[in-house]
Amino acid sequence: MNALRSYSPQVALLAAAVMAFVLLPVAFITLYAFNDAGYLSLPPKGLTLRWFVNFFESARFRAALEASLIVAAVVTPASLLIAVPAALALVRCRFVGRDLVNSAIMSPLVVPGAVIGISFLSLSTRIGTGIGLGPIIAALACFAFPFAVRALVANLHGLDPRLEEAARNLGAPRWKAFAFVTLPQLRPGLLAGGIFVFVEAIDNFSIAVFLTNSRTTTLPVEAFSYIRDYDDPTVAAMAVLLMSFSIVLVFLIDRLVGLDRFLELK
Amino acid sequence: MRARPYLLLLPALLALGLFAAAFLSFVTISFETATPGTILTHGPPTLANYRSVLASPLARSTALDTLRLAALMTVLTAVLGYPLAYVLARSTSRWKRRLVLFGLIVTFLSGGVTRAYAWLIILGNRGLINQMLAALGLPTFRLVHNETGVVIGVVHFLLPFFVLTLLAALKNIPLSLEECARNLGASRWRVFWHVVLPLSIPGLVSAASLSFAGALSAFLFPELLGGGRVHMASNVIFETILTDFNLPRVAAMAGLFLVLALVALGLLGALERRSARLWAGGAR
Repeated sequence: MNALRSYSPQVALLAAAVMAFVLLPVAFITLYAFNDAGYLSLPPKGLTLRWFVNFFESARFRAALEASLIVAAVVTPASLLIAVPAALALVRCRFVGRDLVNSAIMSPLVVPGAVIGISFLSLSTRIGTGIGLGPIIAALACFAFPFAVRALVANLHGLDPRLEEAARNLGAPRWKAFAFVTLPQLRPGLLAGGIFVFVEAIDNFSIAVFLTNSRTTTLPVEAFSYIRDYDDPTVAAMAVLLMSFSIVLVFLIDRLVGLDRFLELK
Repeated sequence: MRARPYLLLLPALLALGLFAAAFLSFVTISFETATPGTILTHGPPTLANYRSVLASPLARSTALDTLRLAALMTVLTAVLGYPLAYVLARSTSRWKRRLVLFGLIVTFLSGGVTRAYAWLIILGNRGLINQMLAALGLPTFRLVHNETGVVIGVVHFLLPFFVLTLLAALKNIPLSLEECARNLGASRWRVFWHVVLPLSIPGLVSAASLSFAGALSAFLFPELLGGGRVHMASNVIFETILTDFNLPRVAAMAGLFLVLALVALGLLGALERRSARLWAGGAR
């Protein structure tokens, strides 16, 4: 033990306790999802995959899963396509109103989700489109693309513009210099921004709940109404599926950019 | 050449335009009147919605409850999150650091519904904690469908955001400053109180205002864990639109909630800038 260690054993213990608190729900819901009883039983009764079967056999959950995947599959690339040029303009160009544009782009992040939900509900009522997947996609893309801009701006600030200039001096056209020099260096920002947007698109409740109805729901909204109507671990099985997916994402992040680098782009 | 930045910004400006259109329609609807029996609204412009929301005791108590609960959640998050962030920033063990980061990011990415549901089962009347208490022959507690459950759930939700934000600021404080103070005979507590804490205040304030913003707009957790007894702004808005589809009135509620949130966050932003000036050096 180093006598000059910054923190005492008591503080380390406290931090460990907080970490246990952080991990408790994740660990617990996993046990619950495989428990062969329709309620919480201590000790666990035995292993089952019943609740996973239940999840995939439920037409409501299947439809909601499909809707959420469609939303994420549109919102994630759309957000990146909006964010990449915007981040380039904000970092690489000097122009009138840059600060104003920057704060305007970040403004959706400070608006509470329920207010954004009500806004897009009002808009779809106004123009008469009604609610459903279209408005959900539009609302989530508007809400989530600033996350991607933020990650890409942080990424671009760390790059040396002279690399692209060198490519230009050597005769590469602008698009080629961008595609072969700058874009590959944006991989961490694209990955970090893409993951934030994707997770937001799959997990968003506060905006989506105002734009879903009995015919079109997304996974979190469906899970919410299931929890209210039934009392069995089917939602725990869904949670385990989502968590396994996020564990895969974290491994992927670590492999491709490193956890520390990822946090710098948060 | 001159048009290039604006051309690059065009997709983003279009998205912002859509956002602004949504915003504008909600603001204009808040000044209209609902046509009974339909989802439609009609003019002429009126302040009646705002008047009735401001006069409603529920709206007033909700505003106060939302601010009070968000402040409580932020303080608890800071108290629990600070030691974890500090140990994480100063730990010499690489694998411990990686393990904690891994756990935080997985929790962070695993989503709100997952965690709200887990807390519902853990804290429920016949949940994990109460079953364990009962097995030990101890009295059981009501931990959900009240503020306790909502506060636990939201604090848990905010912790990864808080810890990861504060961590960045703490890592910027040179370890040598702490070592100097220790070498000169200061106790760990004194070093923390006189060196680490002051230098970390800008980071602490920005992590706390991020948490406060999250706590203010809490929706799913009060909805699931509050059992209709905990009124935070987003829930009251949601329940009002479910019970009577009076969009103008709900839009007025949302408008007032937004003003409340922006004023609170604006004050915190001012505090953040001020603390960055006063305690320069902690964060960038």
